[in-house]
Amino acid sequence: MFDPFFAWLESTSFSVWMRESPSLFSFPIILAVHTIGLGLLAGINVALDLRMLGFAARVPLAEFRRLWPFLWLGLWLNVLSGLALLAAYPTKALTNPVFYIKLALIAVALLILRSVRRLWPPDETAPAILQRRSIKPLAIASLVCWAGAITAGRFLAYTYIRLMVDSRPVPRPWMP
Amino acid sequence: MGGFQIWLHRKLASATIVAAFMRSDWAWPAVESIHFIGLTLLFGTIVVWDLRLLGLLKRVSIAELHRLVPFAVLGFVINATSGSMFLMTEPNQYVYNPAFQFKLLLVAIAGVNVLVFYATVFRRLRLLAPGVEAPRSVKLFGATSLICWIGVIVCGRLITFYRPGLCRAGEPLAFLVECIPPLSSR
Repeated sequence: MFDPFFAWLESTSFSVWMRESPSLFSFPIILAVHTIGLGLLAGINVALDLRMLGFAARVPLAEFRRLWPFLWLGLWLNVLSGLALLAAYPTKALTNPVFYIKLALIAVALLILRSVRRLWPPDETAPAILQRRSIKPLAIASLVCWAGAITAGRFLAYTYIRLMVDSRPVPRPWMP
Repeated sequence: MGGFQIWLHRKLASATIVAAFMRSDWAWPAVESIHFIGLTLLFGTIVVWDLRLLGLLKRVSIAELHRLVPFAVLGFVINATSGSMFLMTEPNQYVYNPAFQFKLLLVAIAGVNVLVFYATVFRRLRLLAPGVEAPRSVKLFGATSLICWIGVIVCGRLITFYRPGLCRAGEPLAFLVECIPPLSSR
Protein backbone atom coordinates (compact mmCIF):
# COMPACT_ATOMS: atom_id res chain seq x y z
CA MET A 1 0.00 0.00 0.00
CA PHE A 2 2.80 2.37 0.91
CA ASP A 3 5.12 1.10 -1.81
CA PRO A 4 4.72 4.15 -4.11
CA PHE A 5 5.57 6.41 -1.16
CA PHE A 6 8.63 4.32 -0.22
CA ALA A 7 9.74 4.20 -3.84
CA TRP A 8 9.38 7.98 -4.14
CA LEU A 9 11.32 8.55 -0.89
CA GLU A 10 14.07 6.18 -1.97
CA SER A 11 14.41 8.05 -5.28
CA THR A 12 14.89 11.49 -3.68
CA SER A 13 18.37 12.90 -4.03
CA PHE A 14 18.92 12.94 -0.24
CA SER A 15 18.05 9.27 0.09
CA VAL A 16 20.31 8.36 -2.82
CA TRP A 17 23.12 10.48 -1.34
CA MET A 18 22.75 8.70 2.03
CA ARG A 19 22.97 5.28 0.39
CA GLU A 20 25.39 5.80 -2.46
CA SER A 21 27.66 8.73 -1.71
CA PRO A 22 31.28 7.64 -1.30
CA SER A 23 31.67 10.44 1.27
CA LEU A 24 32.53 9.51 4.83
CA PHE A 25 30.07 12.20 5.91
CA SER A 26 26.97 10.58 4.47
CA PHE A 27 25.85 7.28 6.00
CA PRO A 28 28.94 6.42 8.13
CA ILE A 29 29.26 9.67 10.10
CA ILE A 30 25.49 10.10 10.47
CA LEU A 31 25.40 6.58 11.92
CA ALA A 32 28.21 7.55 14.32
CA VAL A 33 26.29 10.69 15.36
CA HIS A 34 23.25 8.48 16.06
CA THR A 35 25.40 6.45 18.47
CA ILE A 36 26.85 9.54 20.20
CA GLY A 37 23.27 10.80 20.66
CA LEU A 38 22.37 7.40 22.12
CA GLY A 39 25.27 7.68 24.55
CA LEU A 40 24.19 11.17 25.66
CA LEU A 41 20.44 10.58 25.94
CA ALA A 42 20.27 7.00 27.21
CA GLY A 43 23.64 7.22 28.98
CA ILE A 44 22.90 10.29 31.09
CA ASN A 45 19.39 8.94 31.72
CA VAL A 46 21.00 5.72 33.03
CA ALA A 47 23.20 7.79 35.38
CA LEU A 48 20.03 9.54 36.60
CA ASP A 49 18.28 6.17 37.06
CA LEU A 50 21.22 4.90 39.12
CA ARG A 51 20.98 8.00 41.33
CA MET A 52 17.22 7.37 41.71
CA LEU A 53 17.97 3.79 42.74
CA GLY A 54 20.08 5.14 45.60
CA PHE A 55 23.63 5.08 44.24
CA ALA A 56 25.61 8.28 44.95
CA ALA A 57 22.62 9.16 47.14
CA ARG A 58 24.13 12.34 48.53
CA VAL A 59 24.39 13.94 45.11
CA PRO A 60 21.52 16.46 45.13
CA LEU A 61 19.04 15.44 42.44
CA ALA A 62 18.35 19.09 41.75
CA GLU A 63 21.87 19.30 40.32
CA PHE A 64 20.93 16.82 37.60
CA ARG A 65 18.92 19.65 36.03
CA ARG A 66 22.22 20.98 34.71
CA LEU A 67 22.52 17.84 32.60
CA TRP A 68 19.17 18.49 30.96
CA PRO A 69 20.68 20.38 27.96
CA PHE A 70 22.90 17.38 27.23
CA LEU A 71 19.92 15.02 27.33
CA TRP A 72 18.11 17.34 24.91
CA LEU A 73 21.18 17.53 22.69
CA GLY A 74 21.28 13.72 22.58
CA LEU A 75 17.56 13.54 21.80
CA TRP A 76 17.73 16.05 18.93
CA LEU A 77 20.91 14.56 17.48
CA ASN A 78 19.07 11.26 17.34
CA VAL A 79 15.78 12.59 15.98
CA LEU A 80 17.67 14.26 13.13
CA SER A 81 20.21 11.49 12.44
CA GLY A 82 17.43 8.90 12.85
CA LEU A 83 15.30 10.66 10.21
CA ALA A 84 18.29 10.77 7.86
CA LEU A 85 18.96 7.04 8.37
CA LEU A 86 15.25 6.36 7.84
CA ALA A 87 15.30 8.36 4.62
CA ALA A 88 18.09 6.08 3.34
CA TYR A 89 16.14 2.84 3.83
CA PRO A 90 12.45 3.65 4.54
CA THR A 91 11.10 0.31 3.29
CA LYS A 92 13.62 -1.64 5.32
CA ALA A 93 12.66 0.06 8.61
CA LEU A 94 8.98 0.83 8.19
CA THR A 95 7.98 -2.71 7.14
CA ASN A 96 9.77 -4.21 10.15
CA PRO A 97 7.69 -4.60 13.37
CA VAL A 98 10.91 -4.37 15.43
CA PHE A 99 11.23 -0.72 14.32
CA TYR A 100 7.89 0.12 15.94
CA ILE A 101 8.88 -1.77 19.11
CA LYS A 102 12.01 0.39 19.24
CA LEU A 103 10.00 3.61 18.81
CA ALA A 104 7.44 2.53 21.46
CA LEU A 105 10.20 1.73 23.99
CA ILE A 106 11.85 5.12 23.37
CA ALA A 107 8.45 6.85 23.80
CA VAL A 108 7.87 5.10 27.16
CA ALA A 109 11.43 5.92 28.32
CA LEU A 110 10.90 9.60 27.44
CA LEU A 111 7.52 9.67 29.23
CA ILE A 112 9.20 8.25 32.33
CA LEU A 113 11.92 10.90 32.06
CA ARG A 114 9.26 13.62 31.83
CA SER A 115 7.31 12.34 34.82
CA VAL A 116 10.52 12.07 36.88
CA ARG A 117 11.40 15.63 35.93
CA ARG A 118 8.00 16.81 37.19
CA LEU A 119 8.82 15.32 40.60
CA TRP A 120 12.22 17.01 40.49
CA PRO A 121 12.77 19.41 43.42
CA PRO A 122 13.47 22.91 42.06
CA ASP A 123 16.37 23.29 44.50
CA GLU A 124 17.98 21.53 47.41
CA THR A 125 15.73 23.21 49.99
CA ALA A 126 12.56 21.81 48.42
CA PRO A 127 11.03 18.77 50.13
CA ALA A 128 12.69 15.60 49.01
CA ILE A 129 9.82 14.23 46.94
CA LEU A 130 12.24 11.97 45.18
CA GLN A 131 12.93 10.04 48.36
CA ARG A 132 9.52 8.43 47.86
CA ARG A 133 9.66 4.74 47.24
CA SER A 134 7.59 5.08 44.04
CA ILE A 135 10.60 6.51 42.27
CA LYS A 136 12.56 3.25 42.20
CA PRO A 137 10.17 1.27 39.97
CA LEU A 138 10.27 4.21 37.55
CA ALA A 139 14.06 4.05 37.47
CA ILE A 140 14.00 0.30 36.81
CA ALA A 141 11.35 0.71 34.09
CA SER A 142 13.51 3.40 32.48
CA LEU A 143 16.58 1.12 32.46
CA VAL A 144 14.56 -1.74 30.96
CA CYS A 145 13.10 0.52 28.25
CA TRP A 146 16.50 1.87 27.19
CA ALA A 147 18.09 -1.59 27.14
CA GLY A 148 15.12 -2.81 25.09
CA ALA A 149 15.27 0.13 22.67
CA ILE A 150 19.02 -0.43 22.14
CA THR A 151 18.49 -4.16 21.54
CA ALA A 152 15.61 -3.52 19.13
CA GLY A 153 17.75 -0.97 17.29
CA ARG A 154 20.60 -3.46 16.91
CA PHE A 155 18.23 -6.21 15.71
CA LEU A 156 16.89 -3.91 12.96
CA ALA A 157 19.98 -4.84 10.97
CA TYR A 158 19.07 -8.55 11.14
CA THR A 159 15.28 -8.78 11.14
CA TYR A 160 14.21 -6.72 8.13
CA ILE A 161 11.71 -8.32 5.81
CA ARG A 162 11.72 -6.12 2.74
CA LEU A 163 14.36 -4.15 0.96
CA MET A 164 13.62 -2.30 -2.29
CA VAL A 165 17.13 -0.90 -2.72
CA ASP A 166 20.59 -2.41 -2.72
CA SER A 167 22.17 -2.24 0.73
CA ARG A 168 25.58 -3.63 -0.09
CA PRO A 169 28.36 -1.33 1.09
CA VAL A 170 29.30 1.31 -1.47
CA PRO A 171 32.95 1.18 -2.57
CA ARG A 172 34.50 4.20 -0.96
CA PRO A 173 37.84 5.65 -2.09
CA TRP A 174 39.14 5.69 1.50
CA MET A 175 38.45 2.01 2.01
CA PRO A 176 41.59 -0.08 2.48
CA MET B 1 54.04 -5.21 12.41
CA GLY B 2 52.90 -7.59 9.67
CA GLY B 3 54.40 -10.54 11.51
CA PHE B 4 52.74 -9.48 14.72
CA GLN B 5 49.37 -9.15 12.98
CA ILE B 6 49.65 -12.66 11.55
CA TRP B 7 50.61 -14.05 14.96
CA LEU B 8 47.74 -12.15 16.63
CA HIS B 9 45.28 -13.28 14.00
CA ARG B 10 46.27 -16.92 14.52
CA LYS B 11 46.07 -16.67 18.30
CA LEU B 12 42.60 -15.09 18.16
CA ALA B 13 41.30 -17.52 15.56
CA SER B 14 42.20 -20.47 17.77
CA ALA B 15 39.44 -19.57 20.25
CA THR B 16 37.04 -21.98 18.58
CA ILE B 17 34.53 -22.33 21.44
CA VAL B 18 33.76 -18.61 21.41
CA ALA B 19 33.58 -18.60 17.60
CA ALA B 20 31.21 -21.58 17.57
CA PHE B 21 28.93 -19.82 20.04
CA MET B 22 29.06 -16.52 18.13
CA ARG B 23 28.12 -18.27 14.88
CA SER B 24 25.01 -19.82 16.44
CA ASP B 25 21.61 -18.30 15.67
CA TRP B 26 21.16 -14.73 16.97
CA ALA B 27 24.32 -14.86 19.12
CA TRP B 28 26.12 -12.15 17.15
CA PRO B 29 23.26 -9.60 17.26
CA ALA B 30 22.63 -10.41 20.94
CA VAL B 31 26.27 -9.78 21.87
CA GLU B 32 26.19 -6.59 19.75
CA SER B 33 23.19 -5.40 21.77
CA ILE B 34 25.10 -6.08 24.99
CA HIS B 35 28.07 -4.15 23.55
CA PHE B 36 25.80 -1.13 22.93
CA ILE B 37 24.24 -1.40 26.41
CA GLY B 38 27.78 -1.44 27.86
CA LEU B 39 28.57 1.63 25.73
CA THR B 40 25.58 3.45 27.23
CA LEU B 41 26.61 2.58 30.79
CA LEU B 42 30.25 3.55 30.22
CA PHE B 43 29.68 6.70 28.18
CA GLY B 44 26.75 8.02 30.27
CA THR B 45 28.52 7.83 33.62
CA ILE B 46 31.83 9.07 32.13
CA VAL B 47 30.10 12.10 30.57
CA VAL B 48 28.54 13.07 33.92
CA TRP B 49 31.91 12.64 35.66
CA ASP B 50 33.86 14.58 33.00
CA LEU B 51 31.32 17.41 33.02
CA ARG B 52 31.87 17.74 36.79
CA LEU B 53 35.63 17.97 36.21
CA LEU B 54 34.97 20.59 33.54
CA GLY B 55 32.98 22.66 36.04
CA LEU B 56 29.37 21.99 35.06
CA LEU B 57 28.05 20.29 38.23
CA LYS B 58 30.13 22.38 40.61
CA ARG B 59 27.77 21.94 43.55
CA VAL B 60 28.15 18.16 43.49
CA SER B 61 30.81 16.71 45.79
CA ILE B 62 33.53 14.90 43.81
CA ALA B 63 33.81 12.18 46.45
CA GLU B 64 30.07 11.50 46.25
CA LEU B 65 29.85 11.55 42.45
CA HIS B 66 32.75 9.11 42.37
CA ARG B 67 30.31 6.42 43.53
CA LEU B 68 29.03 6.32 39.93
CA VAL B 69 32.49 5.45 38.58
CA PRO B 70 32.18 1.68 39.31
CA PHE B 71 29.33 1.63 36.77
CA ALA B 72 31.66 3.06 34.14
CA VAL B 73 34.13 0.29 35.01
CA LEU B 74 31.31 -2.25 34.70
CA GLY B 75 30.43 -0.84 31.27
CA PHE B 76 34.07 -1.12 30.24
CA VAL B 77 34.33 -4.74 31.42
CA ILE B 78 31.11 -5.63 29.55
CA ASN B 79 32.48 -4.06 26.38
CA ALA B 80 36.00 -5.47 26.63
CA THR B 81 34.44 -8.93 27.02
CA SER B 82 31.80 -8.63 24.28
CA GLY B 83 34.32 -6.88 22.01
CA SER B 84 36.82 -9.73 22.45
CA MET B 85 34.11 -12.16 21.39
CA PHE B 86 33.73 -10.40 18.01
CA LEU B 87 37.49 -10.34 17.67
CA MET B 88 37.89 -14.06 18.38
CA THR B 89 35.17 -14.95 15.87
CA GLU B 90 36.25 -12.82 12.89
CA PRO B 91 39.85 -11.74 13.70
CA ASN B 92 40.70 -10.79 10.11
CA GLN B 93 37.83 -8.26 10.12
CA TYR B 94 39.50 -6.35 12.95
CA VAL B 95 43.25 -6.95 13.02
CA TYR B 96 43.67 -5.33 9.57
CA ASN B 97 40.92 -2.75 10.01
CA PRO B 98 42.23 0.85 10.39
CA ALA B 99 39.01 1.98 12.12
CA PHE B 100 39.50 -0.76 14.72
CA GLN B 101 43.20 0.12 15.13
CA PHE B 102 42.33 3.78 15.79
CA LYS B 103 39.57 2.72 18.18
CA LEU B 104 42.05 0.70 20.27
CA LEU B 105 44.56 3.57 20.18
CA LEU B 106 41.91 5.96 21.57
CA VAL B 107 40.92 3.42 24.27
CA ALA B 108 44.61 3.22 25.22
CA ILE B 109 44.95 7.02 25.41
CA ALA B 110 41.80 7.18 27.57
CA GLY B 111 43.31 4.46 29.77
CA VAL B 112 46.62 6.30 30.24
CA ASN B 113 44.65 9.50 30.91
CA VAL B 114 42.64 7.88 33.70
CA LEU B 115 45.72 6.22 35.24
CA VAL B 116 47.63 9.50 35.32
CA PHE B 117 44.53 11.19 36.74
CA TYR B 118 44.32 8.75 39.67
CA ALA B 119 48.09 8.77 40.23
CA THR B 120 48.37 12.56 40.37
CA VAL B 121 45.38 14.79 41.14
CA PHE B 122 42.60 12.50 42.34
CA ARG B 123 43.58 12.29 46.03
CA ARG B 124 43.59 16.08 46.45
CA LEU B 125 40.51 16.44 44.27
CA ARG B 126 38.47 14.16 46.56
CA LEU B 127 38.85 16.71 49.33
CA LEU B 128 37.49 19.51 47.16
CA ALA B 129 34.39 21.00 48.80
CA PRO B 130 31.13 21.09 46.83
CA GLY B 131 30.81 24.38 44.98
CA VAL B 132 34.52 24.68 44.23
CA GLU B 133 35.61 24.43 40.64
CA ALA B 134 38.37 21.98 39.73
CA PRO B 135 41.72 23.55 38.71
CA ARG B 136 42.56 23.92 35.04
CA SER B 137 44.96 20.94 35.01
CA VAL B 138 42.07 18.72 36.12
CA LYS B 139 39.84 20.07 33.35
CA LEU B 140 42.40 18.82 30.87
CA PHE B 141 41.84 15.25 32.13
CA GLY B 142 38.07 15.67 31.73
CA ALA B 143 38.37 17.10 28.22
CA THR B 144 40.83 14.38 27.11
CA SER B 145 38.53 11.65 28.38
CA LEU B 146 35.45 13.13 26.69
CA ILE B 147 37.21 13.54 23.33
CA CYS B 148 38.71 10.03 23.48
CA TRP B 149 35.41 8.27 24.23
CA ILE B 150 33.55 10.19 21.52
CA GLY B 151 36.34 9.15 19.15
CA VAL B 152 36.02 5.54 20.30
CA ILE B 153 32.31 5.57 19.39
CA VAL B 154 32.98 7.12 15.97
CA CYS B 155 35.78 4.65 15.15
CA GLY B 156 33.67 1.76 16.45
CA ARG B 157 30.86 2.63 14.06
CA LEU B 158 33.28 3.07 11.16
CA ILE B 159 34.61 -0.51 11.57
CA THR B 160 31.86 -1.85 9.26
CA PHE B 161 32.89 0.51 6.47
CA TYR B 162 36.58 -0.40 6.66
CA ARG B 163 36.19 -4.17 6.75
CA PRO B 164 38.71 -6.02 4.60
CA GLY B 165 37.11 -8.54 2.26
CA LEU B 166 36.55 -12.06 3.52
CA CYS B 167 39.70 -14.08 3.20
CA ARG B 168 40.87 -17.65 3.79
CA ALA B 169 42.57 -17.15 7.12
CA GLY B 170 43.09 -20.85 7.75
CA GLU B 171 45.55 -21.47 4.90
CA PRO B 172 48.96 -19.81 5.33
CA LEU B 173 49.55 -18.87 1.69
CA ALA B 174 46.01 -17.77 0.95
CA PHE B 175 46.13 -15.84 4.21
CA LEU B 176 49.22 -13.86 3.17
CA VAL B 177 47.81 -13.03 -0.23
CA GLU B 178 44.17 -12.42 0.62
CA CYS B 179 44.01 -11.10 4.17
CA ILE B 180 46.65 -8.39 4.18
CA PRO B 181 45.09 -5.28 2.60
CA PRO B 182 48.04 -3.88 0.59
CA LEU B 183 48.41 -7.22 -1.19
CA SER B 184 44.77 -8.16 -1.57
CA SER B 185 43.10 -4.88 -2.50
CA ARG B 186 44.94 -4.33 -5.78
